[in-house]
Amino acid sequence: MTKNQALNTREISKIVFKKGELVKEVEELSGENLFGCYQCGTCSAGCPFVEDMDLLPDEVIRYVVLDRREVLNSKTIWLCASCYTCAERCPRDINITKIMEALRQIILRRKIDYTDVLKIPKKERETIPQLAFVSLFRKNIG
Amino acid sequence: MPNQDYNQKIHHDLGIPLQDNYFLDEPEEIIQIKETPVVEGIAEAHVESVEKEKKVVYADTLIIGAGISGMQAALDIADKGYKVVIIDKTSTVGGSMVKLDKTFPTNDCSICTAAPKMVELARHPNIQLITYAEINKLDGEKGNFTAWIWKKSKYVDPDKCTGCGDCAEVCPVEVVNPFDEKISTRKAIYIEFPQAVPIVYTIDVEHCVGCGSCDRVCEAEAISFLEKSEEIEVHIGSIIVATGFEVFEPIELRREYGYGKYENVLTAIQFERLLSSFGPTDGKILRPSDGKKPKRIGWIQCVGSRSEQLGYPYCSRVCCMYATKEASIVKESNPDIDITIYYMDIRAYGKDFQQYYEHAKKLGVKYVRGRPSSVYENKDKSLTIRYKNTLTGEIKEDRVDLLVLSTAIIPSKSNKKLARILGVDVDENGFFKQDSLLTNPVQSTRKGIYLAGCIQGPKDIPDSVSMASGAAAKAVAHVKDRERHVGREFPPERDVSEEKTRIGVFVCHCGKNIAGFLDVEKVTEEAKKLPDVEYAEHVMFACSEDTSRKIRDTIRDKQLNRIVVAACSPRTHGPLFQDTLLEAGLNKYLFEMANIRNHCSWVHSDDWSKATEKAVALVKAAVAKVRLLEPLTEEEFSITPAVLIIGGGVSGMKAALALADMGIRSYLIEKEKQLGGRLRHLYTLFPSDVKAKDVIDPLIEEVNKNKLVDVMTEAELVDIDGFIGNYNGTIRYRGRMRKIKFGTIIVATGFREIDLRGKYQYGINTNILSQTELEEKIKKGILRKPRSVVIINCVGAMDEERPYCCRIGCGVSIKNAKLICERFPDSKVYILYRDMRVFGKEEEEYYADVLKNYHVVVIRYPGDRKPEVILDKNNPKHGSVNVKVYDDILGEELMLPADLVVLTINTEGEVFTEALKNMLKIPADSAGFFLEAHAKIRPLDFATDGIYLCGAAHYPKNLVDSIAQAEGAASRAAIPIMQEHMRGEGQVAEVNEDLCSGCRTCESICTYSAIEIKPRLDDTDRLVATVNTALCKGCGLCAGACPSGAIEQKGFKTKQIEVMLEALLQEM
Amino acid sequence: MQKRILYYPGCTLKTTAKNLEKTAYAIMQALGYELVEMHDWNCCGVVASLTTDDLMHHLAPLRNLIHVEDQGEDKVVVLCDMCCNTLKQTNLRVKENPDDLKTLNAFMDRENDYKGTVKVYHFLEFLRDEIGFDVIKKMVKKPLHDMRIMPYYGCMLLRPREVAIDDAEDPQILSDLLTILGAEVIDNPFKIECCGSYHTIEEKQLVSRRAYRITSYAVERGADAIMLSCPLCHFNLDVRGKEAEKLFKGYKQIPIYYYTQLISVALGLDPSVYGFDQHMVDPTLLLKKKGVLHTRKIEI
Repeated sequence: MTKNQALNTREISKIVFKKGELVKEVEELSGENLFGCYQCGTCSAGCPFVEDMDLLPDEVIRYVVLDRREVLNSKTIWLCASCYTCAERCPRDINITKIMEALRQIILRRKIDYTDVLKIPKKERETIPQLAFVSLFRKNIG
Repeated sequence: MPNQDYNQKIHHDLGIPLQDNYFLDEPEEIIQIKETPVVEGIAEAHVESVEKEKKVVYADTLIIGAGISGMQAALDIADKGYKVVIIDKTSTVGGSMVKLDKTFPTNDCSICTAAPKMVELARHPNIQLITYAEINKLDGEKGNFTAWIWKKSKYVDPDKCTGCGDCAEVCPVEVVNPFDEKISTRKAIYIEFPQAVPIVYTIDVEHCVGCGSCDRVCEAEAISFLEKSEEIEVHIGSIIVATGFEVFEPIELRREYGYGKYENVLTAIQFERLLSSFGPTDGKILRPSDGKKPKRIGWIQCVGSRSEQLGYPYCSRVCCMYATKEASIVKESNPDIDITIYYMDIRAYGKDFQQYYEHAKKLGVKYVRGRPSSVYENKDKSLTIRYKNTLTGEIKEDRVDLLVLSTAIIPSKSNKKLARILGVDVDENGFFKQDSLLTNPVQSTRKGIYLAGCIQGPKDIPDSVSMASGAAAKAVAHVKDRERHVGREFPPERDVSEEKTRIGVFVCHCGKNIAGFLDVEKVTEEAKKLPDVEYAEHVMFACSEDTSRKIRDTIRDKQLNRIVVAACSPRTHGPLFQDTLLEAGLNKYLFEMANIRNHCSWVHSDDWSKATEKAVALVKAAVAKVRLLEPLTEEEFSITPAVLIIGGGVSGMKAALALADMGIRSYLIEKEKQLGGRLRHLYTLFPSDVKAKDVIDPLIEEVNKNKLVDVMTEAELVDIDGFIGNYNGTIRYRGRMRKIKFGTIIVATGFREIDLRGKYQYGINTNILSQTELEEKIKKGILRKPRSVVIINCVGAMDEERPYCCRIGCGVSIKNAKLICERFPDSKVYILYRDMRVFGKEEEEYYADVLKNYHVVVIRYPGDRKPEVILDKNNPKHGSVNVKVYDDILGEELMLPADLVVLTINTEGEVFTEALKNMLKIPADSAGFFLEAHAKIRPLDFATDGIYLCGAAHYPKNLVDSIAQAEGAASRAAIPIMQEHMRGEGQVAEVNEDLCSGCRTCESICTYSAIEIKPRLDDTDRLVATVNTALCKGCGLCAGACPSGAIEQKGFKTKQIEVMLEALLQEM
Repeated sequence: MQKRILYYPGCTLKTTAKNLEKTAYAIMQALGYELVEMHDWNCCGVVASLTTDDLMHHLAPLRNLIHVEDQGEDKVVVLCDMCCNTLKQTNLRVKENPDDLKTLNAFMDRENDYKGTVKVYHFLEFLRDEIGFDVIKKMVKKPLHDMRIMPYYGCMLLRPREVAIDDAEDPQILSDLLTILGAEVIDNPFKIECCGSYHTIEEKQLVSRRAYRITSYAVERGADAIMLSCPLCHFNLDVRGKEAEKLFKGYKQIPIYYYTQLISVALGLDPSVYGFDQHMVDPTLLLKKKGVLHTRKIEI
């Protein structure tokens, strides 16, 4: 976990799912049917950020299907940059990008932020293009 | 074919003046045309530009498409005596099968298995073959159709063209070759492939520049730019559509694999062309980029198949097997090449497929479960494949020198247009729609029009051939009362027994194929010198129409009584020459061929004098043998016009009805009290919600009502004797014996589940059921609501005891998962599988639907680490259990609680396979499934004539495939009956009873069960071998095996072979 | 008389990507168009909202589209890839879900209703489809001779497919542009891979590794420079790419150009607009070496 991360695993373990099951909430938020996944591995193979991930994208889907809430503790869902490569190539037409977003939203909507804004150094705030910040806030802060 | 060398001038007297400039060098300029010729209908455009010369043909069935399916259907119908018109839009028959190098799982050479059917088709008196033709319009209804065919002109006279190939050598235009799937070029005048039937060159008029070079070099003067295209009106009673498929090219969709961008990425069918001995590389595996042999080859499966986006949703059914085949062929001959196949599931579902797959793994082919995301090219034009190995969890990049994409089988682009013309429907993917997927798969949506082969959906060759026979049966039903013509008429045979031996020798030039490499004149001269040779002549093409006539006239004029033709292989034109003898009034067995082409000029093309010497020797040997040949007779038998069908399940019943539609009587015997077979125990049928009883009850009613079907339930065959056409059987029918006579037999005995005892605590805990038991409970409504259901697939399958796949298990498990979930929406269902083999039409879509709509979780387990059912110690008999399973993909062991466990059990042959084996003398494998004559092109026949096979008795299969096979078997069984008479083989084995010791060697070795050891008629203490000439095929195995030389094969007797050897050895 | 075309800048175009904006203005002027910055624009709300129930995050992009309509226009050109993608996705969402549009319109009671008439163009799209590359070709004064350039697309131009401006697996628009500018194209399978996007804030090293992966393939094949269109990609490949030199021995980051800068150079426009000073890796050295850079505007 990175320095700036303010994620609290204890808080995550207290999350109660609206529909009782993790997979049902993910399906509702993303609009995708995770059970159609064949575990072919195409998404993970095409993902540019797999090097740093603890769970690979296809494993994330599998964890959700098997109702394992540990997936919410993974670094993977925060490493996803919504580049859509997985969604474009998936033979089952599953939009994994939306699934990752749904998983993030499940955490963020319970007021658990991934990024602590105050921890970002001043120098970077001045040099990095604003659009990076806007995207970051959108993705990592509730 | 060997390269033709024009620098060698041949002087021969042909009546054509030869001048220096007649043999042109390679054309100075080659005009290259980049686009692929469209082999589509340009029919409409030409209709107006031609004078209306009406040609009308009256026949019984029209078959559109002359691939393996079309050819099979045509032969089935024509053999019954009906007239067939068969058309193909290319200039030859053969279809896609001839593009393959070898076929799985037997690794037979594809063209070698297809070519005999092609030649038979072209020569069959009841078949009119029209190539380079398409259907333009159709009118009428079942029993009475009129079709208008547009026959495009090839601009080459088929009666004159001999297929020598001179024209193609000098043609200056090169076009991308669609036969080689665009990886090579061909000329504007061409034949598709060397074994094309008819062997007539065709001018691709779209690209011909009209230079006339071909005309100038054609010695047979076959080119005619004045040959017109014409419209032919055909009147038939029924139609079969067998136009096959195309292969998906990932040019617009699935571009991430680099096809079309990177040179070393090919589709699988392009790779087949590389493997093929008559392909662009003569069978050598070479990389397109540098022409060198690759060190590493990779296959990516499911490109464009099983795709809900950017592709097609269905499974293409054959790619897993053809990739395994291509990989194992390459690995066998090149063990140093590194091979990997990247897959999602390996669908090795058919007979011997699983074993073939295991064998490939043993050869060293690597299988990686992981679908690659993308492919990119490296500096040396090798390719890097990026994938996740889902069984190890690693993301990897592999480098290969050559990448083969197993792309989807897609409907032909012209399907929609053809469907419109025929007035039939296509399904949402573009394949032709069947009347009912489950109950009437061969019938299209218009009565009188039937489907055969891949036009209905992807399938392999045995399934196509079975379906084609099924279509033939249905097509014949509409024309069954029409006149039939079986066999040909010949003048009476001359008795040569008192004549002095007068031998005629005909030495063939075969254009330049023989005459270009050895001195045919010298061979002829030497032949003349041999004793008893009254006449010797060399001819340009012995097989041509006019030479056949010449041979016939010469036989008559010179009163010849033994003929030698020195030319090609007897497999090519043997029967043709034999017919010529018959036309001349001579027994056809007084004939011998000397193969001076395949065995001489083709393999010794570099040594003129030695080749000539060898040819002379071969002719001498042939003459020596023919001198000793005797006329042989073929026994004729009449046929009892009835069929015995053993087994009253769906297959048996459908076969009975198909036979009845053709006007043929059948005896349908069933051991149970009622008809129906396994379907009586099932609830629904996948891939749908159709209830089994809605299928079986109407069928039983129809069968019972049908006057041509004699139904006997509680009946068993206890004794049988006789042979094809003349069987006498004893049936124990409800306790009493009944004797019946019949001509042919169909075995439709089905299968049964293997013994489940000892597997997964079955029998110990009451919550562990088989799939059938589950269905019975659901049918009766007595299934208690389960909280958690675990279905275990592949029980008793693909293990040491039974190495085969049960084929239908995956489908059944998914269907039953759906049944449980529909009734109990809160239940959680898990399916534990090894490979998900849902390959049939609509099955993949059904599978995806069930997973998504019912939230079924599928878990893959490895074959060497099977799940375990753990009983509750406190309540082992009735309590819930835990299922321990190793999830192959997550790499974790899971413990699943279950209050219902369902086992998908493997099957084996029915209980009386043994009894039937002995009674009918038919073979079965170790699992009790019967062995067909040839795995690929004769899946419904036994090697023993007169007995046929269908349904699960052959191998477990679902309803659709069973019905297609049943109707196919009916067609096959009807052929001898419709022929009414049968001729046996002439060159049969003959026993010299004085020399026979009754050792039984020949009986055990005979593949056709034609030999029986019986007491000698005049000395009953002695046992001797007796040959049933009706069953003997003249293969010679017995003659070779007999230790005392008592059994000889007529036409290949010891003395006859000895003189050949003497003649050959004299030369040395 | 110059043709007017409404322009949506977005935040970054006014700060770190000022050079992109200035060169775009200059190009449009040379082509006979006037880029008119739209009235009362707000942050586009990058990135597009992905959950089914989230309408809140569509408000910001929608408001911009409403203001385009307010200004009597049905076309708006966007320079920033990410803004363009976000606006297009919202546009598509409301067009396909009229109920959502009703809700959004009702919520923004101080704004006019969005009628769905606006077409959002990426600047590249506009150049290709509305103006035509051949028009630009005719105006090329200083072809980029001897320059071997790798085109880079990133994600936002191509994915998701519904809003893509070119084929998602093998796009050609930047290659075509490079060809008419006279440069040699070094094609690269990594041209469509994500640069790392906003991870540049918290996962700098990851982005550096991405920059290395994307660029090294082309560098191996002799690329001198990269041409791209997105301001964030530019930062990631330029600044973080330079940092990658510390991680990978022997790696030298090549200069990164916006396509508008290269068009400006090729068209011989006023050098003051180029804005090469904003780059981390100095792009002028290469241009000078190839004899393409000039210091005065070339008079026609």
